[in-house]
Amino acid sequence: MTGKILVALLVFVASPAFAGSGAGPVPDGYKPCAACHDAGPSGLGPDLKGVVGRPAGSVAGFRYSGPLKRSGIIWTPEKLRAFLVDPQSVIPGNRMPFAGVPANTASEIITYLQGANRVEK
Amino acid sequence: MSVIRLKPVDAVVVGVGWTGAIAARELTKAGLTVVGLERGPHRTPAEDFALPGIRDELRYAVRQELFQDTATETVTLRHSRAETALPMRRWGAFTPGTGTGGAGSHWNGMHWRYLPYDLNPRSHIEGRYGRDAIPPEMTIGDFGVGWDEIEPYYDRFEKLCGVSGKAGNIRGRKIPGGNMLEGPRSSEFPNAPLARTASGDLFARTAEKLGYNPFPLPASNASAVYTNFEGATLGACTYCGHCERFGCETNAKASPNSTLMPALLADKRFTLRAGAYVKDIVYDRRARKATGVRYVDTRTGEEYEQPANLVILGGYVFTNTLLMLVSGIGRPYDPATGKGAVGRNYCYQTGGGTQVFVRDAAFNPFMGAGALGTNIDEYNGDNFDHGGLGFFGGSTMGVTTGGGRPILNRAVPPGTPRWGRAWKQATADWYGRSLTIGASGAQYAHRENYLDLDPTYRDALGRPLLRMTFNYRENDYRLSEYAASVTERIARAMDATIVAAPKPRRGDFHSVPYQSTHNTGGTIMGSDPRSSVVNRYLQSWDADNLFILGASVFPQNTSYNPTGTVGALAYWATDAIVNRYLKAPGALVQA
Repeated sequence: MTGKILVALLVFVASPAFAGSGAGPVPDGYKPCAACHDAGPSGLGPDLKGVVGRPAGSVAGFRYSGPLKRSGIIWTPEKLRAFLVDPQSVIPGNRMPFAGVPANTASEIITYLQGANRVEK
Repeated sequence: MSVIRLKPVDAVVVGVGWTGAIAARELTKAGLTVVGLERGPHRTPAEDFALPGIRDELRYAVRQELFQDTATETVTLRHSRAETALPMRRWGAFTPGTGTGGAGSHWNGMHWRYLPYDLNPRSHIEGRYGRDAIPPEMTIGDFGVGWDEIEPYYDRFEKLCGVSGKAGNIRGRKIPGGNMLEGPRSSEFPNAPLARTASGDLFARTAEKLGYNPFPLPASNASAVYTNFEGATLGACTYCGHCERFGCETNAKASPNSTLMPALLADKRFTLRAGAYVKDIVYDRRARKATGVRYVDTRTGEEYEQPANLVILGGYVFTNTLLMLVSGIGRPYDPATGKGAVGRNYCYQTGGGTQVFVRDAAFNPFMGAGALGTNIDEYNGDNFDHGGLGFFGGSTMGVTTGGGRPILNRAVPPGTPRWGRAWKQATADWYGRSLTIGASGAQYAHRENYLDLDPTYRDALGRPLLRMTFNYRENDYRLSEYAASVTERIARAMDATIVAAPKPRRGDFHSVPYQSTHNTGGTIMGSDPRSSVVNRYLQSWDADNLFILGASVFPQNTSYNPTGTVGALAYWATDAIVNRYLKAPGALVQA
């Protein structure tokens, strides 16, 4: 009895692997994204590996906001660019606490993430 | 009920907030097996501090979700020994935390270093103003740690937290724009200052006009993405204005949860037990050793004994002091005789400030961060001549934009009705057009301010509540009046539309309006075992394997927020444990 309770109380979390979601060197523009999206099991955001081209809100186990889940968006480069420039105008009410980046930075981020897609295939 | 005895471990840590997490991390790195006992729940930023739920002012700021539950534990308060103390049934003046991260998960992030003066004020005052300058009832002492000794640990804690700021003194070189009155630093802050607010601009302009040197308040709100030496990455602050009373949705506010817990939980030598409410320390009086702690599992009610070679108290001021008193370790302080040490020198803070209303301003107070402030230190510590002033200690003064959240932030000019149409109109008129020049002041130890066990009220575990006997004293009233007059002078130089009358502390200490969660003392550090509970390495005089971390060891309080010093002392003490105590167990200072 006691043993079972104690086992239940023990908390072990595997060491986070900081692999990064893209390919090649991390561009400066992506660093603010990485703080939440590449932080392993303790991360605040979903993994971005393969995000370009996939439906919004599709990483298993991540608790997305209702607006993002219901958006029906496929993350094409164009859609992703618009989102990165002004997240709240593309999906009002989404819960990513980020104000957005200039268009050229958004392009830099997408190029980096697309590199990851190629590696995945 | 029988107590279930567990397998011994190398070290048990009571409380997993800043100090407990630091100690656990340093000790596991040294190869020890460590159990962390936390009475509250385990909270992670991803699960517990996420949007949109975390920006709920009613839930967190008004209904106090992250604080200790006063139905389980609280303190009683009286203003003098002649009164009967009553329990605080709702937190007001201060807001102790619980759960992993403790109050370090819902703090503002004001990350100060003390002034070199603050570490050893008794020696300093006696040297500058004479041996008889300190009145006998002012029982202040020295931390007994020199600036050069503690500086590396301040530096380490700042680098853990990614503090945003601007140095004003690097190795004695004064740097305009930073706090040139600070003690010499070994390096610049890890992050650049946060962007200054419009109210900060106005304060800085006015302060400069009056000949002062304004500087950005050191903020554990990261101005940019930052990865610390534990491999934890902090996000950049979004100026959302929800710091104090809230967790941080972007991990920009340094907390034990964001800076230390990922590395700690990944280490198999560390075991976290949440819902483990420590009842007392097991003390072998003859051997003068702490042999472990007893705790209650809050979910089952079962009682456990966790034996350990090392016992580290990392609770809040009240928890640490209560545990020493109920465990019968050390001699309780008696104000009638001035003898005894446990409970001695309980301190708080003074304050004051002046509200300013500027008709044409647009301060946008909803954009803020907990430690987004602009300050001056000309009237802090002993940075000004106290000759003839009738008090010692000082205040740091400035304007902070913590976030103009809608329920608790309704600054209206004096004379405005407290409800109804006129109040609503004044709220609309002045919400974005007011600021407060705040003064956060020191509060020095007084013989009649202390902590002991309440004779009447008990907590959920059946232990007496901790009783606080506290009031402001002559030194505090004078210090506060002085600070208020300075803030008023600055306010009057702002070309404001309305300057409200300044609000120094007057009358009895009031436990209802929020002031600061900066309670200190009760298990103070010192060089004399008769008047202190721990030595300069935070090691108990009564058990060499018992260490007490946190602001309960402060001999008195200063004007600054204590967390920077709490963290620095935790690193200082655990360094002494790892590099001195473990190699040759025994007293690190001979009594």
